[in-house]
Amino acid sequence: MPTALETFLLVRPEIVLVGGAIAAFLGGAFAGVRRGWLVAVAAIAAALFIAWAQPGAGLLAADAAGRGSIVSGPVAIDPFSVYVRFTVLGLGLVLALVQAGDIFPAAVSRGATVWRGGTCEEAGTFLLLLAGLALVGVADDLVLLFAGLELVSIPTYVLLALKRTDSRGQEASLKYFFLSLVASALFLYALVCLYGIGGSTRFDAIAAGLRAGGDGMAMALLPVALGMAMAGAAFRLAAVPMHFYAPDVYEGTSPGNAAVLSTLPKVAGVVVLLRLVGLAIPGPLGDGTVAPGAAAYTDLFWQLAAVLAALTMTVGNVMALVQTNLRRLLACSSIAHAGYLLTGIAVAAAAAAVGTGGGRDAIAADSTWLAGLGGATATLFYLATYALATIGIFAAIAYLGHRWPEWTSGSGPRPPRQEITSVEDLDGLSGTNPVAAFAIAVFLLSLAGIPPLPGFWGKLTLAISALEVDWNAPITLGSRRAAFVALAVILVLNAAIAAAYYLRIIAAMYFRSTKRGVQADGGLAAGIAMLACLVLVGLVTLQPRGLFRTSAAAGGAISRTPVVAAADAMPGSLATPVATNR
Amino acid sequence: MQPLSPATLLVLVPLLPLVGAVLTLALGRVLGSRAHLPAIAGIAAAATVAVMLLLGTSNQVGSAHGPHAEPVRPVEMITTLWQWAAVQDAYVPPASSAAAIPGTAVGGAGSAARAFTIPVALRLDPLTATLLAIITCIGLVVAVYSIGYMHHDPGYPRFFAVFSLFVFSMSMLVAASNFLVVYVFWEAVGACSYLLIGFWFTKPEAARAAKKAFLVNRVGDFGLAIATFLLWMTYGTLDFHDTLSPDGTILPGILGQTRLADAGGIVGGAVGTAICLCLLLAACGKSAQLPLHVWLPDAMEGPTPASALIHAATMVTAGIYLVARSAPLFVACPDALAAVSIVGATTALVAGLIATVQNDLKRVLAYSTISQLGYMFASLGTGTLLGFTAAIFHLVTHAFFKALLFLGAGSVMHSMGGVIDMRRFGGLRRVMPITAATFLIGSLALAGVAPFSGFFSKDEILATLHAKGWPNAHGEHHDAAPASHASLSLPLERVRSTSAPAAMRLASHARSPAPAAILDTPETFRTLFWMALATAGLTAFYTFRAVFMTFTGPTRVPDEAGHHAHESPPVMALPLMILAVPSAVAGWWLFSSQWLAHFLTATPSFSAPAVMATAVPHAFHMDLAIQGSLAAAIGIVIAAIGHLGRRSDGPQMERFLGPLQTFFANRCYIDQLYAGLVVRPLEGLAFAAALFDRFVIDGLVNGIARLPAALGGVVRRLQAGLLQRYALAGVMGVLAIVFVLAWRLRG
Repeated sequence: MPTALETFLLVRPEIVLVGGAIAAFLGGAFAGVRRGWLVAVAAIAAALFIAWAQPGAGLLAADAAGRGSIVSGPVAIDPFSVYVRFTVLGLGLVLALVQAGDIFPAAVSRGATVWRGGTCEEAGTFLLLLAGLALVGVADDLVLLFAGLELVSIPTYVLLALKRTDSRGQEASLKYFFLSLVASALFLYALVCLYGIGGSTRFDAIAAGLRAGGDGMAMALLPVALGMAMAGAAFRLAAVPMHFYAPDVYEGTSPGNAAVLSTLPKVAGVVVLLRLVGLAIPGPLGDGTVAPGAAAYTDLFWQLAAVLAALTMTVGNVMALVQTNLRRLLACSSIAHAGYLLTGIAVAAAAAAVGTGGGRDAIAADSTWLAGLGGATATLFYLATYALATIGIFAAIAYLGHRWPEWTSGSGPRPPRQEITSVEDLDGLSGTNPVAAFAIAVFLLSLAGIPPLPGFWGKLTLAISALEVDWNAPITLGSRRAAFVALAVILVLNAAIAAAYYLRIIAAMYFRSTKRGVQADGGLAAGIAMLACLVLVGLVTLQPRGLFRTSAAAGGAISRTPVVAAADAMPGSLATPVATNR
Repeated sequence: MQPLSPATLLVLVPLLPLVGAVLTLALGRVLGSRAHLPAIAGIAAAATVAVMLLLGTSNQVGSAHGPHAEPVRPVEMITTLWQWAAVQDAYVPPASSAAAIPGTAVGGAGSAARAFTIPVALRLDPLTATLLAIITCIGLVVAVYSIGYMHHDPGYPRFFAVFSLFVFSMSMLVAASNFLVVYVFWEAVGACSYLLIGFWFTKPEAARAAKKAFLVNRVGDFGLAIATFLLWMTYGTLDFHDTLSPDGTILPGILGQTRLADAGGIVGGAVGTAICLCLLLAACGKSAQLPLHVWLPDAMEGPTPASALIHAATMVTAGIYLVARSAPLFVACPDALAAVSIVGATTALVAGLIATVQNDLKRVLAYSTISQLGYMFASLGTGTLLGFTAAIFHLVTHAFFKALLFLGAGSVMHSMGGVIDMRRFGGLRRVMPITAATFLIGSLALAGVAPFSGFFSKDEILATLHAKGWPNAHGEHHDAAPASHASLSLPLERVRSTSAPAAMRLASHARSPAPAAILDTPETFRTLFWMALATAGLTAFYTFRAVFMTFTGPTRVPDEAGHHAHESPPVMALPLMILAVPSAVAGWWLFSSQWLAHFLTATPSFSAPAVMATAVPHAFHMDLAIQGSLAAAIGIVIAAIGHLGRRSDGPQMERFLGPLQTFFANRCYIDQLYAGLVVRPLEGLAFAAALFDRFVIDGLVNGIARLPAALGGVVRRLQAGLLQRYALAGVMGVLAIVFVLAWRLRG
């Protein structure tokens, strides 16, 4: 595979991140830099700047004329990867601040009894993680995709192990490590099968293989490829059947790590799945021929994603109902949200399945298909709204830090500080920390999908995109439309169930009282992260169109085959309900 | 420094009070007794800006007189702050009703799908500019008054925060250029009103009154919501103004100039009438018209300054504004228009009758407000240009003198230790001379005594009703009109000649294969005219009854007053004096110069051909003036016979009304009627529903609610924390998936 200098130039932001990581490691080891998170923030800011100045950044602009992509070697810069890159860098900026707010007891009490997060080691590891994730976004090749995914996973193990050195933390990091290895191994099987279908590691070759497919060999490989790929993605999304680790790991680790775990791997999972959906979208070469391989692929894909979506959101929500530990509860909530994300992916896959039926012109004229690509758009939009709210909550928890112990000077030695763990620890927060309480309430309401917060727009787009599949078809038992209507109903029911436990936290903060306040010892950085999330949530509330347009530009480009018509039709629309009438 | 653009100024008018409200809320505890500062600073700045805007817009419209008189052109300016949300291709116009979408010929296909957008857009036109100036200026005066009135109240910062918030909401309501945004702020002023009526929420009556106001208003809001839906279904937009879409086509707004210039642009018929009646229902709720007037008298439980600003001068005129703004819609539906007039005149008469036997000073004023609002509706319902401008004219003068009267009543209440029953007062003019003098000016204006302001606005309303009732006789007035006053008609003629006369004819004739109007007949308006005239007499009677009972006769001060019984402090007296000036002279000035009427004509809604066609030369109708004055004089004389110089707690002359007195004193039993017809059945239903809910639904729901929790328990058991089991479950799951997929692919 030719790898030119140009290829490296295209991944300049990722190179900057890695450079920042090296600087952080060296600075921590030899220059005694204490505040590694400042290095991380600086590196991410530099990467953002470079990504902004780089050709291709304009691809996301709503009115970008020459929509297309830049491909060089295994790297593709298209609206989708640019969107992923900016999402990753933006979330990374906030997450670096959250990480700095972690405080946790040291394993061996030598000197200080607590460690403060955001050291150089953590910052460097975190930067590597971000670089890996951004590479997943730009990958146009199975090898780079897998390398990127592993560059996400390995720093995550290190982060988990670095942060908390008590037994709970070690247990959590070990669990994550082993299960992640299993998932990676399964995913590698999927890649092997895809290679078998396409005879190449390149996406376009695999896509061509799928479309030309239909011979027995490729068909035999499909179930394994899809099932195993779904396993790899499901682990990162924390979706059924690879969701078991989430509550244990979140509970055992620090708020900053939980914030990372609940968002960045999900980005990776969504990117992988959408790229896989994109494989089956026919390009200009489709010229009207029916491609049985691609049709089977997308059919299986949407059925699988839809079933897993329904299972995942239900399992996550019912598990969350019985949780009392705050981080376990949020872990279950993140499982549920993985289910919502899978809904959008199922819609995207179903839409791609429709598209395989005809040539490009037919596709462009088929508004069902255009509307269906809303699945990808809705997923990306939902991902952003979910990540903002979740990071905000963990930032708030990190900022709040510890409770005051129940202790008077007469009752013996001062007991150790207690970390905020359970929902009851937030009792009466509105009286002691009104700003944090308000922020948490807003984030929770957004997650619950209460209008007009971003989470509502997200759920609305997801539900609408599901209802739009085969909009004109009658709802008959067993039809695809019926399946997606059912999925939308399940989504809405789950949103109702979810409101119960989100509101429980809000009730604790606003309607209960406590004599012990919280210390709010998480530091300025976490507080800033919380407020930044609050401001961003407020912006999306007031102006959902901006984010939606960007997601639409990206969602229209999940396949590198130019889908010009789709991209032109989507911007600025929240939904296209009646467009199919003409 | 570069002068601020009108767009910036327009945004500042609502923004400054909002900032004031937020600051008052945030710093309330710190500022303590100085909590009024941010609010008053914000409102004062907004008032300055609003007056600047008014003058600027007035310059743009041009002069009505003199050699520089120009033809009246619609004047409007739109500032879109941001696009709140948009749904692409949300509206596909039905092919059959191409008439509903004029202007699409400008570069676009009539049946192309269009987006549903909610722009947060502000507009500036003469109507908005006038109302903005009234809202902020009267708001400022009342806010200053409140410094004295609310002194020592524990909720001092809260009062000013909500007060400021109200000024913000009301400014947004009249400045918004989209029905949905109007709806949002329609609710917002309702919420502010709720908060201020229930300001002393520990008082049960106040809490109940607030609840009642809110609930009754909901009925009206329901009308507005339905109207909004219908408008969207009919017109495919909710904007007032035209918008230029990116591809160069003009998307005509409901009240935009493109549509207004088109003769067939406004939908009449059943749908149009339904829209207008829903809008009328909304206006009835907010403006306390029959049958939704019951909340306003109870709203007097709130602090008096709030009553003065919200429940007399501004918020209750939102209904007038809505109907005036939608004037072209109403003009296309003559029956709906007539309904507006009928509702208005009936309300005016009934409320006037009830007011005659009230003994609570503030309630007299409350019923008087309802009655005067009815006057404005009667005027709007004539559907003529004069009718619309007269309604706004009366709105303006009424805002001044009714705010003055309320503040005067508040001043009395303040110094009488919270007592407001007129039977316990007497001769207060000796105790509080300033209040008495200003109250008298306000009363003269309200009673319609020349040359106070109410006389002129009321005269115009009577004239417009008269013109509809006796269309032929009205022609004579034209001839009798002095030549100097005819100048207004000149520019209008010119407009008519320049803007496609064919369209004009279409507007007035072609719309009719007119279904024979049921309500819109001269006979109706003749009846309404006599009702209005009778109301004028009643108004004079109850107003002066209140004046005589309170301020004349032997001096009597209730015991609650204690040592407070003296003139109010300057901070309260000054606003009274300030408001007394426009109450006395504004009418004469606005009438003689015709500035307001001319200015308002440039509002797009009023400059629509259909409305313009009804323009008549400005004239002073001596016979009507005499009739009106006579009615007022009779009212005052009867009030004087009954109450001047008598003890107010003695037997009153109203006892001669016999059973009617009981009927009116019980507010025509309307509250009881509603209680019997609506409240009791609903309560019964609610009780039954509660039983059903407790025993049937709860059992069901609790059962279902236990289901997820039980399921959660099961799932939790799977979550044993054992790594091996997790890995096993995961791998088994994946294998299951692969096998199912393979099986499906084969099958």
